[in-house]
Amino acid sequence: MALDGWKEKLYQRYLSWICRPSRIERHLRAALPAPAQPALEVKQGLVRAAALQVELKLSKSPLYYADEMHRRVKEAVKEGVQLVVFPEYNNLPLLGLLPGFEKMEEAYRKKVKQSGVKDDNQKEEEISLAEVFRYMSPAVQPLVHTVFSCLSAVYGLHIMAGSYTLADNGNVINRSFLYGPTGLRIGSQDKVHLLPVETEWNIKRGRSFSVYDTPLGSLALPVCMDATYFETFRILEQKGADIVLLPIANLEEYNYWLALRGIWPRVQESQLYGIKSALVGTIAGLKFTGRAGIFAPLEITPNRDGILAEVEPYDREAIAIADLDLEALHKLRSAHPWRDSNPVLYRRYFPELYS
Amino acid sequence: MRVSAITMAGLRLNDLDYYRSDLAALIKSSGASLLVLPAYSALMLGLEVGALVPAHDFGSSLQQYIKNHSSWNNRFMDLHSTLAHDLNIHLVAGTLVEIESGRHYHSAYCFNPAGEICCSQRQTHLTRSERESGFSRGEGLNIFTLNGLKTGLVIGNDARHPEVGRIFALRGAGLILYSGASEAGFNCWPQAAGMWAQVQQNQFWSVEAQLSGAISGKFFGAPSAVLGPCEITPGKSGYLKRGYPQSAIVTAELDEKSRLKIKENYPLLKLLNPEAYSGINEGPVL
Repeated sequence: MALDGWKEKLYQRYLSWICRPSRIERHLRAALPAPAQPALEVKQGLVRAAALQVELKLSKSPLYYADEMHRRVKEAVKEGVQLVVFPEYNNLPLLGLLPGFEKMEEAYRKKVKQSGVKDDNQKEEEISLAEVFRYMSPAVQPLVHTVFSCLSAVYGLHIMAGSYTLADNGNVINRSFLYGPTGLRIGSQDKVHLLPVETEWNIKRGRSFSVYDTPLGSLALPVCMDATYFETFRILEQKGADIVLLPIANLEEYNYWLALRGIWPRVQESQLYGIKSALVGTIAGLKFTGRAGIFAPLEITPNRDGILAEVEPYDREAIAIADLDLEALHKLRSAHPWRDSNPVLYRRYFPELYS
Repeated sequence: MRVSAITMAGLRLNDLDYYRSDLAALIKSSGASLLVLPAYSALMLGLEVGALVPAHDFGSSLQQYIKNHSSWNNRFMDLHSTLAHDLNIHLVAGTLVEIESGRHYHSAYCFNPAGEICCSQRQTHLTRSERESGFSRGEGLNIFTLNGLKTGLVIGNDARHPEVGRIFALRGAGLILYSGASEAGFNCWPQAAGMWAQVQQNQFWSVEAQLSGAISGKFFGAPSAVLGPCEITPGKSGYLKRGYPQSAIVTAELDEKSRLKIKENYPLLKLLNPEAYSGINEGPVL
């Protein structure tokens, strides 16, 4: 079932109208401080960062969504941060813009609870999530850009806006965005490693990794599952990344060890800073859990445990704040006790194994 | 398959007959068909029985061993070959230092129940101090079949380099036998960043044997463990069994069907995206 009937097209136009940048910007400007605050300088190589844990709440209005993002940024600004990181699937709250979504969500939640088994007729009637994301994309993309461009410019911050499922040249991608303190979009990253369920949703995977040089150091923004693979962080390390910003939305019951398998070991293997922001809560029977945190090589964390800051709850809103010492990181890397490289070994096996 | 990791704690090391009988008793009580000894087993045993000359510190004792390795290495290998045969087990004898063409390597050997060498492995990634001590890197990773499972040996610092586990896993390894030696102290996090992380991202089993004891004033002690993918271990911890630094032996049963099932349900290696891995052959930036 496609979303291309006249009613759907009409509603799509309406969505774009209510999400139009001028309306969002006007709304935000009324609440934002004026004039804009200058970007905080990086002093003595120290970067203060915030990893947000965002609780999923449906937004029935784009203005509410903008207010929610603003509220979380303000919370971080109070802590004197220069860098704020939002989670994966930061567009899910915007499903609330769809008329009747709450009722659909409730019905779906019951269905999942009851059996999870669908008959063939149901499957034909169902609209894939990728189709919904594609449908909403013309409205969501400018909305997101306007919100984070305004917030980063007014507060003089670097903001990793989280990741969004958006239409791109006929495909749907899961893309994270980075904004700089002038409000410009500095960069983006398509998720390279997809979950099986994302492949079922017809999301297209990214083909390369990018690193962006900023006054806060070199930043990279891979997405969630990308941290399951050491290759991601090794390549980012080779490209000069200092800080990896990782938005996640983990679809599983919280377990300490399962949660440990992502960014924490990758930071230890590649000797970088890692900032994990998490989406938590339930939507359409899907439960997301996680603990946002800021991670570093063991040797430069106070308890030698690789953790600079980590929120306590795994299912509620929270914020983790830490200072990242880039000089200490570079010093550690230059004289590391156990790091080694064996390109002869890698060239012997990898070309064939990865072919 | 029942597997055990030995720490050397509690073994009488000052006499080879005692060592042999203590090890045999441990194996019999565990019921394991595979036993893994920790790194530096040859150095520790050689010093304790007086076959090697001790020096004032670990590094100097190691250098003495390198100079006079030949006859002790032969005795050490014969001893463990006989043990594997007599006990009817696969036995990874821990590690020794071997020299070839003037280069020295940190190596491990596995003996089969016939007492034959079924696999050898050289450490492929060196610590800074190992490089400064003149060690060379191995340039290959060898696989052998053990009870139907493709198996590889991993030594020391290789546990902290994920390239090693990935190469083994992509070549089909389902079991990694790890001989390690970590300095005593608070080391649960370095351990988790090592073999635990490799097991989770490659979904193989690992038997991790960590050395317990002192060599020329340097103290070693970390928990030995048997590891598997989180989903099929108690509390989803990734540990089938985990000892204490002073535990003599850690034993667990590997349920291969459950591992294959988790690999099927959550096929991590099939979700790799090599198109994005340009440059991976160059490895870490030093």
